[in-house]
This record gives sequence, C-alpha cells and structure tokens, in this order.
Amino acid sequence: MSREAARFLCRSALVGRAPIAPRTEACTLNVVPRRRWDQRRGFVATHRLKVVKPYILADIGEGITECQVIQWFVKPGARVEQFDPICEVQSDKASVEITSRFDGVIKKLYYEPDDMAKVGKPLVDIDIQSEISEADAAVLDGAAENKSAEAPEKLEPKTQEIEVGRNDTAAFTGEVPAQPAPSLPAEPAQEESQPRKPPGKHASLATPAVRHMIKAANLKIEDIEGTGRDGRVLKDDVQRHTQATKAGAGTPAPQSAPTQQPEDRIQPLTPIQSAMFKKMAISLSIPHFLYTDGVDFTSLNTIRKKYNATREKSQRLTTFPFIIKAVSLALQQYPLLNARLDTQTIPAKPQLVYQGSHNIGIAVDSPTGLIVPVIRNVQALSIEQIAAEIVRLGELARAGKITSADLKDATITLSNIGSIGGGVVAPVIVSPQVAIVGIGRAKTVPAFGKDGELVRKEECTFSWSADHRVVDGATAARCAEVVKGYVEDVESMLVRLR
Amino acid sequence: MAPSRGLARLLLRPALSNTAAYLRNVSFARRAYSFAEQLASPANRVQSYISRSSDPFVNLSIEDYILRTSPPDSTVLFLYKNRPCVVIGRNQNPWSEVNLGILQAAAPRSTAVKDTEPPAIGDVHLVRRRSGGGAVFHDEGNLNWSITCPRTEFTRDKHAEMVVRALRKIGIERARVNERHDIVLDQGHEKRPSDPQDTHQTAYTVDEGGPRPLKVSGSAYKLTRGRALHHATTLLASPNLHIIPQYLHSPARKSIQAKGVESVSSPVANIGLDVEMFQKRLQDEFSAMYAHQGKPHIVQVVGEEHLQIPEIRKGYNELKTDDWMWSQTPQFDLVLEGPARSEIKINVHHGIIKTLETKGDSLPDDMLEELQTALVGQKLQDVGNWTQFLQSRIEPWHADYGVIADRLEILLPVPHLGKP
Repeated sequence: MSREAARFLCRSALVGRAPIAPRTEACTLNVVPRRRWDQRRGFVATHRLKVVKPYILADIGEGITECQVIQWFVKPGARVEQFDPICEVQSDKASVEITSRFDGVIKKLYYEPDDMAKVGKPLVDIDIQSEISEADAAVLDGAAENKSAEAPEKLEPKTQEIEVGRNDTAAFTGEVPAQPAPSLPAEPAQEESQPRKPPGKHASLATPAVRHMIKAANLKIEDIEGTGRDGRVLKDDVQRHTQATKAGAGTPAPQSAPTQQPEDRIQPLTPIQSAMFKKMAISLSIPHFLYTDGVDFTSLNTIRKKYNATREKSQRLTTFPFIIKAVSLALQQYPLLNARLDTQTIPAKPQLVYQGSHNIGIAVDSPTGLIVPVIRNVQALSIEQIAAEIVRLGELARAGKITSADLKDATITLSNIGSIGGGVVAPVIVSPQVAIVGIGRAKTVPAFGKDGELVRKEECTFSWSADHRVVDGATAARCAEVVKGYVEDVESMLVRLR
Repeated sequence: MAPSRGLARLLLRPALSNTAAYLRNVSFARRAYSFAEQLASPANRVQSYISRSSDPFVNLSIEDYILRTSPPDSTVLFLYKNRPCVVIGRNQNPWSEVNLGILQAAAPRSTAVKDTEPPAIGDVHLVRRRSGGGAVFHDEGNLNWSITCPRTEFTRDKHAEMVVRALRKIGIERARVNERHDIVLDQGHEKRPSDPQDTHQTAYTVDEGGPRPLKVSGSAYKLTRGRALHHATTLLASPNLHIIPQYLHSPARKSIQAKGVESVSSPVANIGLDVEMFQKRLQDEFSAMYAHQGKPHIVQVVGEEHLQIPEIRKGYNELKTDDWMWSQTPQFDLVLEGPARSEIKINVHHGIIKTLETKGDSLPDDMLEELQTALVGQKLQDVGNWTQFLQSRIEPWHADYGVIADRLEILLPVPHLGKP
C-alpha cells in the first residue's frame, strides 16, 4: 500500500508540485485535478491508484485455442518494459515467446509452468505504469473526432481490458519495428512521400516511457502516427517519426515554414567513430596527467640527412623510427610505462602486468579515419626494420587492408600528429595501456648556443600522458627525459642498442 | 533474454579503428568473426549457411544464434546433418518418448534389460532442442534445414512448400505437404489428374482407406518477438530406417502420464536421394524464392570454430547440461508395478521425485516408508544405477526392493550421456 502512495508522491515531486499526503486505496481519485495535455511534464499523474490490468493471451493463429506454458521469464513484482519476454508457451509443434506490450510491473501469474494457457484469457496481471483511461482521452486530445467518439468509447467493455495485440503469427501486421540498424544511414525519403494519416483517436495515449521520448524529441504526440491498438503511439512510432522529420522537409505544422537556414544533417557514427566513442568513453575514467617538453631535433636531422643522402627515396628514414626506438629503449629502464592495467581479473584488486614485448601502436591516418596499427617487439627491431614496418602498415592502412591482427595488443601508443601539425597536444590514453606519447610538429626556433650565441634549433614537442592511478609524475618525467636524451643525441642510443 | 545483437553490432565492420586492446578482449578466430559479422549485417537480407559439423549440440546452438542475431527483415537458410542422435522437443518427456536403455551401445547392461539388444550403430546421443514438436531420429542420411524469417511473413506451410517444389523438380512427384505441415510421399497406385502447382496434393493422393502416405519430413517451429524459425528433417537416405522405431518406442510409454507434447507416430520412408545433391538443389530453390530480396551469401560454417562466439558457446553449454535434458521435463506421474501386484505411483516435477504413493494396502507400510525416505526429493539425473542407488539407501535390503529397482531401471533409466 505504501508503495502505491510512494509512487504517487514521487510522481508529484516529478511534476513539481507540492507533495500530496498519501491516500488510502478507498479514496477515489476524482478529487485530483486533471492535468491538461499541454502542461505535460513528462509524467502525468494517474487518477487511479491501482491500474492493474489483466493481460490477455492473444491469438497465436492456426485456430489454436490453448497452449502449454513452458517457462516464465518474470515473477510477480518484476518490472518489464515493452518487448521484454514474459513467458514461453508451446502448442504442438511451435514454441512461442510471448512479449509484453507495455512497460509495467507484473502483479500476478495466472498459470503454473506446464499448465495449459487459454487463448483469449488472462495470462498475467500487469500494473501498467500510469495508463490513461478513456475519460482522459477527451481532455488530452483536442481533436473533434475524439469528442464524438468519446461516448461510444465508454460503452465498449473492451476498454477495461488490455489485449495483447498482435503477438503472433499471421496477424502481426502493425507492430513490425521498421527501424534499420543505427549504423546504416536511415532511409527516410520514403516516409515523406506517403500522405500523413490523421492521428488516430487514441494517438495521445501512450505509456510514460513513450511520452518521455516524445518530450525529449520536442514533438507533439498528435503528430505521430500510432501503429498500436486504436492508433496508440509506441516507441517505434516515435523513432520512425524522428528519423523521418529530421532527414527531410516534411516538418509538422507547428514548426513554422523554415527560413533560409542551412539544414542540419543527421549522420550516424561510422564504425570507426563508434569504436572511438566506446574506447574514449572508457578512457574517461583514467586520470591523465600531461607532461610535455621540447626536444631538439637538430642532431637527429643531421644524422638523417647524412643517411638519406645515399639512399633511394623509398628507403629514406623519417624521424619517427628513431623516436620509436628511443621510446623502446627508455621503456627498458622504465618498464612501468609499458605495463597493462588489469582491472578485470580481480575487480577488487587491480594489478599491473609488466609486459615483456614493446608493441608500439602508431597512429596512422587512413581513408576511413584514424587507426592504430601495432609494431610488435620493437625492442628486437632495428631502426631500419621499424621504418620498414611503418611503411608497410601505412600502405595497408591507406589501402584499407588492415586486419584485426595488426591492431591488437599495443602496449603503448605513439601518435605522430606532428605530420599534420600541432605543438603541445594532450593525447588520450587507450585502456588498458597506461601511457601515450603525442609528437608535435618540428618547428625552427631561435635558441641560445653554448656560448650564448643565437642559433637555429629544430624543436619538436613531445607530450606524454600517463595514467596517474599507477604512474607517478616523477617516473613519467624521467622516462620522457631519457627519450629526449636519446633523440637529441642519437649516438647515445648506440651504446644501448641490442 | 534480449537478443544478442550487441556483440554482433560491435563487430559490424572489420576493426579499422583504435581498438587494439578492445579486440584483445574479444579475440575471435577470423572465420568466426566474419560469420558473426555477416549474419548480423542488415545489408544481407538473404543468407544461406551450411554446417560442416555433425555435432547436434553445435548445430542447434548455431541455429539459435541465427534466430537471435540475424537482422529483423532477413531470411536465413541453414543446412546441417547430425551424427546419429535422438532429438526430442522442448517440452517432451524423454522417458516416455525414447527408449533410453539402448542409447548407449557399450554401457554395461543391467540384467533387467533383457530383450533389447541395442542396434549395432554405436552410441546414439540424446538432445533436447529449443523448438516444439516431437521426437525424431537424426543420422547422416537425414538433412536438417532451417529457415529463419520475419514473423510477419511466417506461415507453417511456406517453406515446406518450397522443399516440395525442390523435390518435385528432381522428379519426386509423390511429395506433398500434408495437413500437419509435414512432407509425405503419397502411396496411391493409380495416377489421377492433379494440378502440378498444388503442393498439397499429388496425382497419387488417396482418400480414406488407401495406403497411408509415408512421412519423409517433420517440422518444428520457434517464434520470438519478431522472428520465426522453421526447421525440419528430411529423410533422404538413412541407413537406419528400420531401427528408428526401436529408439522412438519407449517401454515406459504406457506407464507415464504427462503434461507435455506427445509425439505423433507416422510410418517413415527414405526419399532415396543423394544428400549432397539435394542440398545443392535446396539452396538453389531458396535462392530463387528470395531472389527479389537479394542474392544469398554462402558461408561455410564449421562447428568448433564458432563456439568461440560467446552466445553460441553459452547456448551449447546449456543444451548439454543435465538440468536442461532431464529437469526441463514437465510434471509427470509414473505408475509401476511393485512386488505382489502392488502399484506404486511416483510424481516427478522439475526432474525431482516429489511424491511416492501406493494404491491401497498392497505394499507394506515399512517398505513404503523406506522407499519414500530414499526417493522423495531425489533428483533423477543424479541417480545412476537404480539397484545400486537403492541398495545404498535402504537397509535392510530384500528381494522385493530388487524387483522395484529393476522396474525403475527399465522405466526410468537415466543414462549418463557423457561428452560426445
């Protein structure tokens, strides 16, 4: 009982009114003032405390009058949403899943498993979350059709029962969810060409979940074509409607004739964007700390020029392989930055897995977006080999031929955004790695030489992001310094190369 | 039981993205990966698969995965053959439908089981499938076809008619769809005029009194919210036709009163076609039927590899549990004859013996009590050998208990079906 009252209180709170004292069941609800549809605030207070309705087992087709209940998927008290399975029944050769048409709470099961359930009789009792009675429909929907229909409506005995519409074979015409998968661009053009039917007289009737969706999309319920029973609006109808209106010009009347505004374009996320979305959402939980420093490329460039002078164009080295090797060498001294943070194995006790191989992911621009192929075992590769790998992976990426095997198991990532531009960047760590390095564009800057004279220097900013949950500032800084040292003085790498 | 689309959606495109570590968690073999991707892709409205595995559990799990993962408006054909096994419907009673005693050819036989020597085809596995219907026997001469399509387009006859068309094109003109939506071969002798386009009648159809048609294909269905699965057997060239009845007639049939679906027995026959050839023709017929919706993409599905897909592995594991096999049986009563013409009634629900009663005073009270103590609350699947089980529970032992144990061994055996 108090649950009913509590729910009533909650609703009141949601609609922003002063809480009403709990009422007993005996109280009729005519006392509660009706809300006008245009004042809707998402949830409309029901004017019944008990809205439990028997949910009828609909015709399964083929003249079957009864079928056996095999198993229940819900218990009394279970909360269900539209389309959640309620039970499985079997009639001779067909086993059928019965799903719910409404959001609500199951109150009572009419059968035990193995009982024969009768078609046309109640299957469960469901407390539909705030169902609108017929009387309200007249107030909610201002259309004239309603007013005339109102009287005959009340006479229909069926209004007191909620039928499971169209669950099953052959009769299942209205409910087919027509939405394509989100990653395919919607095809709304065809919706436009169909003339809009007048809203059904129960178009305004909808569950709170549906009305919330409508409110969130800034639509009016009367404009949405309902395909539910008697024209009720279902979740699918709202989604179809939003896709149709957004993509085309057929906007509903209330929105005034558009001025010369550039049109918005809806674009679902490409697969790469989707994957990025998911990955970066995970990365949100990582406390990043950023450490940047300028690195002098002068010496590196001198060495490169000397090397490249005698080589064919295809075999010339850029700065990137050197940097990668330098990072790998530094990781020998600071293996923490090559570790993997494992929070899955024992959720209560996260652990670090120090990884032996340096599998360095290099961010590469491909026609479909940014991808990060991995160079494996950098610790065992020479700079030339690293360069060859970069070229190979780059070509694969441009051709769109990167396989999932090439993208797996990076232990640390290097992003050479400098090939496009940028100074200081704040790269985002990819879980479960604990560090990432962003390399900016090398710029020629003035600097002071050892005797105070003005010299030209080519400087590039390395930006390190590290997972501050496991990597402390000092470690990251020292590692960064080591890398800087190697890159600025390539000969010092020599003594460490294996 | 939300459809398992989440995983398949994530794999919708080859991973051209910053997903190195993410893919580590979902490490697929490439082949399994491409199957999941293809199946779930909404661009593929017509799909056709064939299994290389003869493991009934693998094939059924893949079939269920197809039902739950394929796009809502797609139509998918899946062909598979199983090694010898008995497959019962979702809600059937294995003790009353199947001769459990002969399933395991090499199992030590108790002395009670005298006159049923198992046919010499080795171990036959027992499987409970997820769709309804009756008990059937599968072997390599039987082709299983399953079609998953949108529920709005589903009728029971639609795809049975498709198969009949395929058969008739090969020259099997006696094939037709009967009133129970099965495929039968008419056995009439005289040829009467008949419309060749009518798949429900042939030139040899006889009215009452004539030779009964022979069943060559039995169907079962599973319907979910938006999708319908129709699968069926097709007896093409089974070498075991003559011994199928032995497996599907249970000694306990008359002793068990159950809620649940009973099999409808029909005389069966082989169509007499080469399996490979018919597979091809069926795929062609399917492609032709759905040509207006798209060209199907043929993928070779191999059993073991696709167990790497978590949903398939989960379904597979579930099908193999003792609980699924035995405890999913609806409530039933077993009446057995005890010593001295007594009658003992055992009620079993959820695979557990709930009550044990006797009629009148035919059984001495102390015996009744001992039996009740030993058996009530016992889960059938844990019993093993009845004689040994009762001997371990009842003291002092005497021959009358032995009689009861023997009867239980015949009527309510629980063979331990190890991993095939």
